Amino acid sequence: MLIPASGTGQYLANSVKAIRFAARGCTNRPFYHIVVTEVKRDQVDPVIEQVGTYDPIPNEYNEKLCSLNFERIKHWIGNGARVSNPVRELLGLAGFYPIHPRTYMTSWRNRKKLEDEINSQEAEQENDK
Amino acid sequence: MSGINQISKLLTNSALKSTVWYCRKHSQQIRLLSYVSKEYDEKNSPAPHFFNEKIQNLLLSLTRTDLQKVFQKRTVGSLEDPRFEFLTDKQLKEKLDEIRKVALKHLQFPPAVPVRTPKDKVFSRDPALKGYDTSKFVFTDISFGIKDNDRIIAVRDTDGTLQEADWKTRDRMNQVYFPKTHRQLKVPHLFNDSYFEDVLNNREYVFILDLACQQFEPDDPEYQRIASITYQHINDNNAFDKLRSTRHFGSMTFFLVWNKMIDNLLLDLIDSCYLNEASELIELYYSVHNIQVDNIGNIELIGDFLKNHSNKQAILELAFQATKDFLKKKEETVEGIRKAHGH
Repeated sequence: MLIPASGTGQYLANSVKAIRFAARGCTNRPFYHIVVTEVKRDQVDPVIEQVGTYDPIPNEYNEKLCSLNFERIKHWIGNGARVSNPVRELLGLAGFYPIHPRTYMTSWRNRKKLEDEINSQEAEQENDK
Repeated sequence: MSGINQISKLLTNSALKSTVWYCRKHSQQIRLLSYVSKEYDEKNSPAPHFFNEKIQNLLLSLTRTDLQKVFQKRTVGSLEDPRFEFLTDKQLKEKLDEIRKVALKHLQFPPAVPVRTPKDKVFSRDPALKGYDTSKFVFTDISFGIKDNDRIIAVRDTDGTLQEADWKTRDRMNQVYFPKTHRQLKVPHLFNDSYFEDVLNNREYVFILDLACQQFEPDDPEYQRIASITYQHINDNNAFDKLRSTRHFGSMTFFLVWNKMIDNLLLDLIDSCYLNEASELIELYYSVHNIQVDNIGNIELIGDFLKNHSNKQAILELAFQATKDFLKKKEETVEGIRKAHGH
């Protein structure tokens, strides 16, 4: 059964809450809900509330779509919910949080990889000559 | 094209019809639509004029509310079964009054508003994010109770720029997360090039305008392109009757008045002896363009307009004279009949 966005999960006043991804795709088609849930709960368990979605596969316009209910996210953060690293990265890209250090690391690594590839290709071409 | 249309009206033979169809197809290949989109400008906004109560009333009066046509079945939208009831005369009158109120709602004109300004606000630039991903990220704020126009939709480009999404992306995102019934995620091909032309040449004006209302917002340049080209096509083909008693007639009249091209509509009204409406149209023209005239009667008002502001003065004056003569003769005949009956 699909879990309603308003959430059916158990809410305990003193437990630690987390804002994190919950995988809701199928085989070879990842799709994530961004949910508020208790830290110790399993990913497939009912959540307290769904606050967004993230589609990691680019659409035909080469866009990755992400929806965020900022009003509720602010509310939960204000109530002491923790934010998981992947969601923190996404919120950083959205301009809600400062950019996550790991985002900078990934982009730097990707740039370096690309540079290395170009360099090696050029070297190969020179060797061929 | 009009010549071919006239021929096709005359012909009922199916074999001959196919020849006409061939001609029509052939002529389309040669002559493309030559209309230019006329959008409402931001600097000279039509909105304060359009939403003026007096102007709305004039537009409504010009629309000529025919209940049969207002509630006729449309090609767009859902179909409902007719309901039959036995009513007394009094009940029937009450029902009709009720229905007239509903008709007014059906006839709400698509507004004339200036085209929306492009969105290009940049929130931040961060070159250190270059290379993070090969695709863009689109973030949509789905908080409850925000209007589609006010919703924050931001795009993180591949070069690390975080900026407001342009209108096309916004429309797409709004339709993805807050779908509107009958609106499609992708704009149908019907609104483009030869398909659009075919619709116009088949004179499916109400169909295309209804569909445009569903698909676009009134301040969308695309809506204004489709509407303005359709209105110009109607104006050139004198097909005003197609739009009468629909919600688009008011918008079309306003468009024609705004762009100072009411001569064909005026000629149509004068030819069909609706001198009252002709004077209303001129009143509308004068109030939109802030032209002061002395308080004069209907006939004088039309005469004044033909003399000073019309583009097709000769034709219009001929038609005006003919109509006046016809009405005079009609009056005389009626008077004669009355006398003959001994009243």
